[in-house]
Amino acid sequence: MDNKAIVLDKVSKSFVEQLGHKTLKHLFISIGDKILKRKIKTERNTKQALADISLEVEKGDFFGIVGRNGSGKSTLLKIIAGVYVPTSGSVLRNGTLTPFIELGVGFNPELSGKDNVFLNAALLGFTRKQTQKMYTSIVHFAELEDFMDLKLKHYSSGMQVRLAFSVAVKSESDILLLDEVLAVGDINFQEKCFKYFEKLKKEKKTVIFVSHDLEAIKKFCNKAVLINNSKLVAQGNPRWIAEKYLKIMQESN
Amino acid sequence: MRFITQKNSSILREMVGTDFKVRYQGSILGYMWSFLRPLFLFLILYIVFTKIFKVGKTVQYYPVYLLLGIVLWNFFTEATSNAMTSIVARGDLIKKISIPKYLLIISSVSSAFINLILNLIIIFFISIFTKVPLGFGWFMIIPLSLELVILALSLGFMLSTIFVKFRDLTYVWEVFIQAAFYATPILYPLSLITNVKFQKLLMINPVAQVIQDARYFLVTHQTIISWKILSPIETTIPMLIILIIAIPGIFYFKKQSKYFAENI
Repeated sequence: MDNKAIVLDKVSKSFVEQLGHKTLKHLFISIGDKILKRKIKTERNTKQALADISLEVEKGDFFGIVGRNGSGKSTLLKIIAGVYVPTSGSVLRNGTLTPFIELGVGFNPELSGKDNVFLNAALLGFTRKQTQKMYTSIVHFAELEDFMDLKLKHYSSGMQVRLAFSVAVKSESDILLLDEVLAVGDINFQEKCFKYFEKLKKEKKTVIFVSHDLEAIKKFCNKAVLINNSKLVAQGNPRWIAEKYLKIMQESN
Repeated sequence: MRFITQKNSSILREMVGTDFKVRYQGSILGYMWSFLRPLFLFLILYIVFTKIFKVGKTVQYYPVYLLLGIVLWNFFTEATSNAMTSIVARGDLIKKISIPKYLLIISSVSSAFINLILNLIIIFFISIFTKVPLGFGWFMIIPLSLELVILALSLGFMLSTIFVKFRDLTYVWEVFIQAAFYATPILYPLSLITNVKFQKLLMINPVAQVIQDARYFLVTHQTIISWKILSPIETTIPMLIILIIAIPGIFYFKKQSKYFAENI
């Protein structure tokens, strides 16, 4: 058990889709229904996002998750992150975990770059002291020395991403979850990302990586899974998973 | 589960700090408004009630008496309204990271509480200027405002959870607050009500109890303090009401908070 970082056992997730906006009117109707013991007309649709997913991520794994849009891979990542709770099944996390489902969580456009660094870092689990210690190196890495007192709303989107990424790379968690982080930047930024991945690999960090970029998956991951239609359809060698993924894409066309 | 971890307190500090930085964004006087608002309110009350209506004659130090009531009431409405919408308003966070959701409620109430402290500081100085006798009674504001904080937190847990599912709640709560404002002896002194039963009914409201007791200790002993109206057993009713809100509120919040990310 000690060498496992993440263990998912038969995890399923269904969402209850609410038709229309729920208001107090619906509440009173449903209470009325309960009192009168009327059968409640199910105005709901349940949609299964994940079915029976079991997987194990070992410590030090660079673990890829691939799948088409809407296949359920983001839901899977959110379940691993603890953002969603599974409808059934169990999730085991061994070690500290930081999710990067989006860069710059909590960023507030009305605050200065500096304030946003502290806010974002706190949300990622840093204390103020820790952030103060690494502040100059964050700013330096983002190449934003002259802009830290400027409000975030005056930043270009590229600057925002750079700042967010510079905070993110400071994370010292045992397990990192990365969702499409690469999709946002230009070539320079991608290169920075790749360098960061190399560093994570060297440090034997556990990384769970969701991406459409099969080249990146093949390059960095030592294991991968393919999610299709809410199910885990294959798991194993990233090269083989990439081929399977392409095949599924072609079949659906 | 540990509530006060270093991690949680840094999140809390940043969230409350953000609230304050954003609140006075773009205003020239900035933080000064935290002090200026109660000051201007006092001036208005002073002019209206001592120069125009002369109601002030019946109650000692009426403008301060009134200001204290309004400031406590404003804390209650600000804290509960902000806490109610806090979960939905910070959906962006809840959907992307796993943070303890109760931090959002605590941060809303904390922001309002800091405002209350700033207001109380102003009241303290106004008291000096208007020659309200100051005494150790001022220390009673600590347990009294704490009582109000616990009430606001309890309501915050309850309301925010309901609000995730039923968005009508803001309007319902607004109406409730409007009605409760007049059902609480804020603008009128309690002595205006002659029916003893009715007086009792008004005083079992925890907010009314806090306001009256605070006025008694901070402004004038002429104020009808809660235990002058309520029997010793009845004085526990306001506390019981808080408990009745707190326990189901916290349990309901705890049970539902797992699903906030998908229900928002």
